[in-house]
Amino acid sequence: MISYKIRFLLFFALIWNFSCQDDRDKSDFGLTYPDYFPTPHYQFGKNTLTREGFELGRALFFDPILSVDSTISCASCHSQGHAFADHNTALSTGILGKTGNRNSPAMFNLAWQPVFMWDGGINHIEVMPLAPITNEVEMGEDMLKIASKLSRNPSYSKRFQRVFGEKPIESQQIFYALAQYMSMLVSADAKYDRYRQGKESLSADEQDGLQIFRNKCASCHTEPLFTDFSLRNNGLEVLNDDLGFGRITLEEADKYKFKVPSLRNVVLTYPYMHDGRFRTLDQVLDHYSKGMVHHNNLDPLLMTNGQPGILLTHTDKVKLKAFLNTLSDYTFISNPLFSE
Amino acid sequence: MNRLNKILFFAILITAGLSSCKDDEPETKKAGEVTIEFDHVWASTESEFSLNKELTHPLLGEKMTFNIFKYYVSNVRLKAKDGSWYTMPESYFIVDADPAGSNKVVIPDVPGNEYTDVEMMFGVDSTRCTSGAQTGVLDPAKGMFWSWNSGYIMIKAEGTSPNSTSGNFTFHLGGFKGTNKVQVTKTYNFGATALVVDGDREAEIHMIANPARLWHSADKLAVKNTNTMPNTIAKTMSSTYYDAIRFDHIHN
Ligand code: HEC
Ligand code: HEC
Repeated sequence: MISYKIRFLLFFALIWNFSCQDDRDKSDFGLTYPDYFPTPHYQFGKNTLTREGFELGRALFFDPILSVDSTISCASCHSQGHAFADHNTALSTGILGKTGNRNSPAMFNLAWQPVFMWDGGINHIEVMPLAPITNEVEMGEDMLKIASKLSRNPSYSKRFQRVFGEKPIESQQIFYALAQYMSMLVSADAKYDRYRQGKESLSADEQDGLQIFRNKCASCHTEPLFTDFSLRNNGLEVLNDDLGFGRITLEEADKYKFKVPSLRNVVLTYPYMHDGRFRTLDQVLDHYSKGMVHHNNLDPLLMTNGQPGILLTHTDKVKLKAFLNTLSDYTFISNPLFSE
Repeated sequence: MNRLNKILFFAILITAGLSSCKDDEPETKKAGEVTIEFDHVWASTESEFSLNKELTHPLLGEKMTFNIFKYYVSNVRLKAKDGSWYTMPESYFIVDADPAGSNKVVIPDVPGNEYTDVEMMFGVDSTRCTSGAQTGVLDPAKGMFWSWNSGYIMIKAEGTSPNSTSGNFTFHLGGFKGTNKVQVTKTYNFGATALVVDGDREAEIHMIANPARLWHSADKLAVKNTNTMPNTIAKTMSSTYYDAIRFDHIHN
């Protein structure tokens, strides 16, 4: 048992420590977001967010050292100019020109995301990079090998020590650094946000579009993150054996359900849907109004009078598109803090 | 208080102190290390099990040679004679049939005492399956964590078999939630003799585990040679394996 005196001292040391850290983080570096955003899901826990940790994560994100043959980096498939989706390709190309079967999603506001991947199979932002790194068609590498490559690199070795202390590089440090970088990718400066903050107004069409959006889309693509992170079926025709959420839970009721994607930056992230089947927003809107197929697990919100589909007139679509355009965050896609 | 009384008072105090010291003495045992060793045996004959050796599964009538056999054991606790429990902090282990790994669970700094039971979890608790990047034996770099469906591979059994259509078998068993949750907590009583922990005194618990039991209610390899996700197969194979793990004896 620690004596009371020591405990008392420890307590003060802790408070003192925290206050120091707080001062530094607040004045210098931290996760900032508008007050109409909810509390982030990821609270960093033992992974103390620092500028150096974030910058280390950023270096790793852009470095092909994470792939087996040093040809592919995270940024190869997640490009800032496209809100960290792929360069407008349906299926991304990994090592040796191999392709997977899903569209590379955009990456922003990940600190709010409770589950990852189109099928929601990954439950924590820290273990997220394990999937692309070890996937044979993406980066094909092994965490132990990456740790030893990084240890042999004098610059990385120094940077890891500065962030995590003088100990051998372990996968946890790599995951922590990447989680710091990914969590900081906040997109909250679109025209929509400036409208929410009273700094800018929407045009009549954009305003109408927002109303239509709130009526027809927002139950799943919920403001202000433009997703409720649930897994649902939106009536896409089944083209292959990708069971989505059903692959994870093995439940009949979850088959062909996919994670509702955020619609922030949607204009920049085409093609659309989990397999990138639609190239344009027109195709997406046509899908919702007349292209939907019936499926046992089709979300009831997408049924109108017992038929799959939601009513959208031509003008509705024009206005919806005008509104969706206000979700592009040009500050985010050009922010040098997030660039290589 | 007069002087005599004072002296008497102190005399009583001192003797009381002394005698209580004496009473305590035989009870004071020093903290020490406890080892739980898993001896792996094969099938009902309990013949020798080892990797890279061709074995015949009597129930399936099939031949199999293991290259990998390892599994998680976690959350080890020891119950003392007085009913109190010692819970090991950060208690996670990979028990490995490969001599390059270890078939031992080593618990350092167990308070000196006499213990009657050991409790352990087979598998990894759901908290650690959902808490992000871990270190040590829980490091995903150990290859015992599913990248696409977060959670630990609680049992990994791989090898070759002439009866399998592919020539191989691959079983990665796990799943930490829902109906197919694999991890279980079991308690084993040591019977008549207690496990004494006292400094350097040897304190070993011997357990017997039987990898053949994975197929106690599972399909033949000719039918099913791979299963690498949480599902009913993983649930069945792991529970028949875990259920057959038994306490054998203690070394004290
Ligand atoms: C070869 C292309 C490729 C590479 C390289 C790649 N990704 Fe991805 N990423 C994808 C695809 C495709 C998906 C969707 C996979 C799925 O849902 O099954 C994805 C999904 C993600 C997601 C989940 C987003 C969400 O909304 O659920 C994150 C986060 C992510 N990747 C981060 C990374 C990081 C970090 C790296 C580098 C360690 C990386 N990716 C490397 C293609 C790639
Ligand atoms: C019932 C819930 C639901 C409703 C309502 C809904 N969506 Fe979706 N949306 C989804 C799901 C689920 C996906 C992903 C489907 C997939 O890829 O399999 C999706 C995908 C999208 C995508 C593709 C985004 C990308 O990055 O690939 C767009 C664009 C989209 N929806 C727009 C809309 C619009 C506009 C509306 C209103 C007219 C709407 N959605 C209504 C559930 C919904």
